[in-house]
Amino acid sequence: MAPEATTAVAVPRPPLVGRLRSLLTLGIVAAVVVVSFRQTDFDLLALFTGAADFWKFFGRLVPPLSEVGTDWGKYLPQLAKPLIETLQIAYVGTFFGTLLAMPLIFLASATTALDPVSMWVARVLLTILRSIPDLLWAAILVPILVVGPLPGAVALSLFSIGVLAKLGSETVEAIDPGPVEALRAAGAGRLATIIYAVVPQVAATMVSYILYVFEINVRASVIIGYVGAGGIGFTLQNRLNFFDYTGVGLIIVVIFAVVLVIDGLSVWARSRLI
Amino acid sequence: MSHIEFREVEVTYKTGLRALKGVNLTIPRGQFLVVVGLSGAGKSTLIRTVNNLVVPSKGSVHVGGVDVTAARGRQLRQARSDIGMIFQTFNLVKRSSVLRNVLSGRLGDVPGWRGVLGAFPREDVAYAHECLARVGIPEKAFVRADALSGGQQQRVGIARALAQKPSVMLADEPVASLDPPTSHAVMSDLKRIAREDGITTIVNLHFIDMAREYADRIIGMRDGLVVFDGTPEEATDKAFEEIYGRPIDREKDLRGA
Amino acid sequence: MSRAATAYQVPPTPPHVRRGRVLAISLAVLSVVLLVVVLATMDLPTWQRVKAGLDRTMPPLWRGFTNPDPEVFPLAFRSMLQTLFMAVLGTLLGGLLAFGLSFLAARNLLGGTLQAGPGKALLVAIRTFPEILLAIIFVAAAGPGPTAGIMAMGIHSIGFLGKIFSDVIEGIDQGPMEAIRASGGNGLHVFLYAVVPQVLPEFASNVLYRFEINLRAATILGLVGAGGIGGPLIQRLQFRRWDEISMFLIVIVGFIVVVDFLSSTIRRRLV
Repeated sequence: MAPEATTAVAVPRPPLVGRLRSLLTLGIVAAVVVVSFRQTDFDLLALFTGAADFWKFFGRLVPPLSEVGTDWGKYLPQLAKPLIETLQIAYVGTFFGTLLAMPLIFLASATTALDPVSMWVARVLLTILRSIPDLLWAAILVPILVVGPLPGAVALSLFSIGVLAKLGSETVEAIDPGPVEALRAAGAGRLATIIYAVVPQVAATMVSYILYVFEINVRASVIIGYVGAGGIGFTLQNRLNFFDYTGVGLIIVVIFAVVLVIDGLSVWARSRLI
Repeated sequence: MSHIEFREVEVTYKTGLRALKGVNLTIPRGQFLVVVGLSGAGKSTLIRTVNNLVVPSKGSVHVGGVDVTAARGRQLRQARSDIGMIFQTFNLVKRSSVLRNVLSGRLGDVPGWRGVLGAFPREDVAYAHECLARVGIPEKAFVRADALSGGQQQRVGIARALAQKPSVMLADEPVASLDPPTSHAVMSDLKRIAREDGITTIVNLHFIDMAREYADRIIGMRDGLVVFDGTPEEATDKAFEEIYGRPIDREKDLRGA
Repeated sequence: MSRAATAYQVPPTPPHVRRGRVLAISLAVLSVVLLVVVLATMDLPTWQRVKAGLDRTMPPLWRGFTNPDPEVFPLAFRSMLQTLFMAVLGTLLGGLLAFGLSFLAARNLLGGTLQAGPGKALLVAIRTFPEILLAIIFVAAAGPGPTAGIMAMGIHSIGFLGKIFSDVIEGIDQGPMEAIRASGGNGLHVFLYAVVPQVLPEFASNVLYRFEINLRAATILGLVGAGGIGGPLIQRLQFRRWDEISMFLIVIVGFIVVVDFLSSTIRRRLV
């Protein structure tokens, strides 16, 4: 056997910068996690006891199987009105959210904005609308407006404007600028240019976004009643306060079913669009 | 009587690039002018100063006596509606019908609300169909724009410009994306319509033979300056070598493969 | 102009165009009619009541919102920080569990659509269940506090991240998997060397996106008692302490904007 050459090739070490960066990232993430554990008094034990409590509670939600039909059946018609109100709130919120989002989308997009100032103002407004979660809007509006579906509808409208306008302006900024240039060159006014060159390019995507926002709004509207903003959430809070766990169980099931159906319809409709 | 006048036009972009370094030109009404030159010589910039899509840093461009460079707002839109433009990438709205694309050429002339609502007067709709017939594709009126071939799409572009009832036509490399036979079909259509309607036309081309074949007058640009101004007969191969600053490459510069 | 001004015959509008226009117009009209019907049947308060309510609340609200109370800033900041930590743990919990579950819902790893069915169905069920409802249940079951919120966020995140993760897994390049199997590696080798490296950046990016969403969710969960800034906020809302409320809102929006910004920057560098 021929002896191995004694001059071994030095094994290159991986670049220092890359390794430092990954170590640093790992370190930061670990630190954040540890701090989070301590600050929230969350311990893994709680996970398991929590899970156990959860199952116990769950048991109380469902009446004995033999009586599911009668217990729930009796209660179901009472839920019809709150449920309809829930859907109404979601619809109104989506409608006005869409309507008011339209001008804001074009004002906030670089491709269609009037001037830098109004664009900046529009963007700031939209950031604020989007950063406050829908339920929070509802909680804020309930003391201002009368308790009931009104603050709920307004809250969802405001939130929808934020979400829709962000998605919409991203789409508008990604369009082909060619037709816009062509219409400017032909002497068309700003509004006409938007309608003829921008809208056809984004219309289908926008409709799918509107359906997505409706889906979000239905999810939100089933709950905002909890803080007083109308819909089936209000009934839920009511039943919880009376420790009527059977009612609570039924409401949970109904909410789940409604969201499932709306989600399914929305996904189906959106797939037909693209 | 000059129709289009360039007076000491200079264009310097924000990056510092001097695209046009002092252009003086007078173009009589009805002339079919072809501008040639390498990419980056200033052809696109030159043609865009006519409808103020590019604003000159110095000097001015006058169209039919109107100072286009100084025009703003309503006045600018009025000036632009008299100037038709066709583009290398056609710039049609792909998802809209051919008819709607052609009608959008009328947007500069009809009252605002009519354009926004799509309520064009009957004569305008009729005229749009007529423009489509003049470019040879009347049957495509209700077809989606992106369902057409390249040559047909450019024809729609021409029809859209025609619908403006312009006195000036600008064409920025109109046939660069098309194959040679289609290019010639489109160019001859363009020339025919320009002659029939007496439209002053400026076309950017980079194929020499095509320039010689269709132009009334040829302008050669190089590095932002006009280096040649004459008839097709005067535009010999030697003259073109001046414009390009290098010997002619038979393959690339004449007809293209 | 040298052309004779002959009137040109306008061809008739073809049926498919006509149908398209009718459809669009009827949809628009229908949605407006629906709106009117909905508004009429909803339990909306009369304008007088609304106006009276506004007259009562707006002046103090305006005063409060234009003078946010700086004294309450430390409390707001600490609460929001706790909210942030809740979101971290919730996302972590959800992310880890989703990581595992997603492989059970990926068609290309399990061997087909049928085999992946139950996993996918479970993820859909989890995803559809409203998060806040989960929080309400946890609060009712295990008592109020951040733990309930973290659990709710964790479980809901499994649904969201699980679907995305399994989509990512289904989208990977099969080539490296085949290569490792061909060179004699077993399932675990394939997993570690061919699957994980391809999916990790995309996973991480989605976890960060989910964190953005969870931060928003965490601010709400306190409203139903599950810990975080929602708790102190809802008390102040009930007592209409607008000056303190506005400071809270400023802190909330500030945190969210900063986190969104950092998150998008990092995500851009990842993928």
